[in-house]
Amino acid sequence: MSKDFFSKIKKNVKLFVQGATDFDRKSKSLLIKESHNEMDEFLLLCFGDLLGIPLPTSYYSLELLPLIADDLDGWHNRMSGRLSVWQEKWADYDFDA
Amino acid sequence: MITFIGGKGGVGKTTCSAAYALKCAKSGQKTLLVSTDPAHSTSDVFSIKINDEITGILPNLDALEISGAKESKLYMDKVRQSLKNVVSPIIIDQINRQIDAASISPGTEEAALFDKMTEIITEKSSDYDKIIFDTAPTGHTLRLLALPELLGAWVETLIAKRKKSIILMSMANHSGHAEKKEIESDPVLNVLKNRFDKIEIAKSIITDSEKLTFIFVTNAEKLTIDETVKAVKVLEKYGITVSEIIVNKILPENMTDEFWVSKKEQEQKYIELIKNSFKNKKISLLPLLQEDMKSDTIEIMADKLRE
Repeated sequence: MSKDFFSKIKKNVKLFVQGATDFDRKSKSLLIKESHNEMDEFLLLCFGDLLGIPLPTSYYSLELLPLIADDLDGWHNRMSGRLSVWQEKWADYDFDA
Repeated sequence: MITFIGGKGGVGKTTCSAAYALKCAKSGQKTLLVSTDPAHSTSDVFSIKINDEITGILPNLDALEISGAKESKLYMDKVRQSLKNVVSPIIIDQINRQIDAASISPGTEEAALFDKMTEIITEKSSDYDKIIFDTAPTGHTLRLLALPELLGAWVETLIAKRKKSIILMSMANHSGHAEKKEIESDPVLNVLKNRFDKIEIAKSIITDSEKLTFIFVTNAEKLTIDETVKAVKVLEKYGITVSEIIVNKILPENMTDEFWVSKKEQEQKYIELIKNSFKNKKISLLPLLQEDMKSDTIEIMADKLRE
């Protein structure tokens, strides 16, 4: 019983120290966000015609389909479901996130 | 050595291509004649069934007919096949719609044709002394040859974007440090780089006047000459050398009928105009013949081209 108690405390202290000293957290989430933005742009250049933007190169992007088909659905929803650019930009300055 | 033969619709591209190919074959060069015009008529000229397999016609002369529609279908079937292994069945429907949309979008057949032509050039160049492409009418051909320029820039942008995204993700996962391995092993980047290399090879062949020349077929008529002048300018802008102009369907001498005599005089003027417009190019004249184009009449044409 006391063994359980101590291991619980140990775990919580470990989590506290980790959280208190995790200086990478914000930069990491920024990097991930930026990476996703780039990937969204990449998909737009490949499959813009799914959103109604005709591309002269759509024939050549077909061969990429098997490799990125799984990302395509989420991307399509993100692109067509965009409501506010302000909200998206504002999130960049939310330093708690 | 690769030769493209082009011109306005109806000037006799196929006839001239066949005659030119025959001339090359007769002079001992191993020749491959490739018809890319969707309205194939090389088969009819030689009265031999030619299809998408290389067919021997005469000693030293092989021929092949390729079609953008067929090639694009093959390519899309391949994509569909590889999709089955990776994608969940829920999105496969949407993906199939994307492929169907691409199959009817403008440029698809040209892109497929361009791919096939690049493949022929890279794979068959060592087997043949001469590869002759009988191309589709001017507009199509110009767009086809402009393709590498456009595609190259596009693929370059894609590579840059994809690379940046992967580097950022790698930095996020390795506290600010990007792993080189993750960039090199990305399958999408590899596909894109493959494509880029192919385009670069095509570009370097197209703009190399030692490897590729263009022969333009024209008639001694105002509209055709105008189009030829414009097209040659565009080709030279893309760095493609036009080495020879063939003036086809020249009327016979010593005509008696008043209508044809004045027609002949007009023709003489236009031939002068062609000679003035293309001073540094070889100009060949081919006669208008009485009979339809068949293998024996093609031989007459080939002999004319030799002179």
